[in-house]
Amino acid sequence: MPSVTIQPDGIRTDTREGETVLQALSRSGYGFRVGCRRGGCGICKADLLDGEVDYPVAVSDTTLTDGERATGACLPCRAVPRGDITIQLRDDKLRCCSTLLASIYGADSTKGSC
Amino acid sequence: MGVMRLGYVHVRVTDLEASRFHYGETLGMKVVHETPNQIYYKGWDEFDHHSVVLEEGGVGLVKLGYKVEKSTDLDAIENRAQNFGCITERMSTGSNVAVGDGVRIVLPSEHVVELYHEIDYVGTEVGLLNPDPFPRHLVGVGVPRIDHALITCEDPAAQERFFSEVLGFRPVERVVTELDDGDLIGSWMSCTNTPHDIAFIKGENGKLHHFAYNLTDWTAIKHAGGIFAMDDVSVDVGPTQHGITRGETIYFFDPSGNRNEVFSGGYQTFADSPPITWTADQLAKGIFYIGRELNERFTSIVT
Ligand code: FES
Repeated sequence: MPSVTIQPDGIRTDTREGETVLQALSRSGYGFRVGCRRGGCGICKADLLDGEVDYPVAVSDTTLTDGERATGACLPCRAVPRGDITIQLRDDKLRCCSTLLASIYGADSTKGSC
Repeated sequence: MGVMRLGYVHVRVTDLEASRFHYGETLGMKVVHETPNQIYYKGWDEFDHHSVVLEEGGVGLVKLGYKVEKSTDLDAIENRAQNFGCITERMSTGSNVAVGDGVRIVLPSEHVVELYHEIDYVGTEVGLLNPDPFPRHLVGVGVPRIDHALITCEDPAAQERFFSEVLGFRPVERVVTELDDGDLIGSWMSCTNTPHDIAFIKGENGKLHHFAYNLTDWTAIKHAGGIFAMDDVSVDVGPTQHGITRGETIYFFDPSGNRNEVFSGGYQTFADSPPITWTADQLAKGIFYIGRELNERFTSIVT
């Protein structure tokens, strides 16, 4: 299954079939600043440093413009990795919201804090 | 009397089919009309043709419709809006499906509001003769009707003046930066007996914060929360209670990221009710009375 690595913390987790980046992180006990979780508000916008993503559910093209897509911006709440990807959060850090889930799903729970 | 109530909310959505499930199956509104890129809905306890219009392409508010009591109200409102300095335009029968002649006004906040008197009468699902209190085949939450909208604007004071001087609303609750000469940063205004038929808070012009459905009571709010969990609806806040309006609430997002609310309770207000004032340092308690904390999403996300 494709992996997601989140910078600047370097936390890495696996994704399941069809899972968005946000869903994979939440399942692994991690969270960051999100809003609508539906691709409409742009609060979660981040930069794709490596790899490619798909948007199986349409997101508003006013929230993520073609120009932004071309320069690597993505919406983790709707983006599904096509293979291994690396994402850089903007003005935010990944937080470990559940060390229990992080230990179950294999992400490194010593990085990030609640 | 002038404006009677909020009649319709017209919003943009990114995916009409995903929205069809949310508004039709989760919220339980009924489709009354469709075009290739629009769906028109009504709630089971609404008399008029429609109350929500979804239009494919983006997110956010296209316009709000308010129904006036008499057709002559339209001339008076048009006059007052022009004197206020707003751009107005006459809309004729057919420019909105099922809606008659009206006046379209661009608010100081750049939002578009339509005033109309005539709209096709459809009737509620329980009828007018010996009606049952609810239809027995409700779907999902089974929302009876829309209630209010909250929009953002750069100048809440000008917006409040517009709604009171042009449309005859009155402020029910207000938030100021401080007592005595503070700036207005939010206003909840009514044209009926409810604590708000429109509300606005300081923010970007032209944006929608949310629009709301009225439910019977706290138990109905909890039931709605259960349906949201079953249908994987993205919940923003709640269930909780507001300090402002005292209503019970859950905020949630439609599949495109437009914020919706289910709202119950509140109190009755009258033409002679004096406005209630909140100071900004108590805003968190005003908005979420029980938790007394504003989450970042609530004040930063608009579409
Ligand atoms: S959280 Fe709103 S676009 Fe991702």
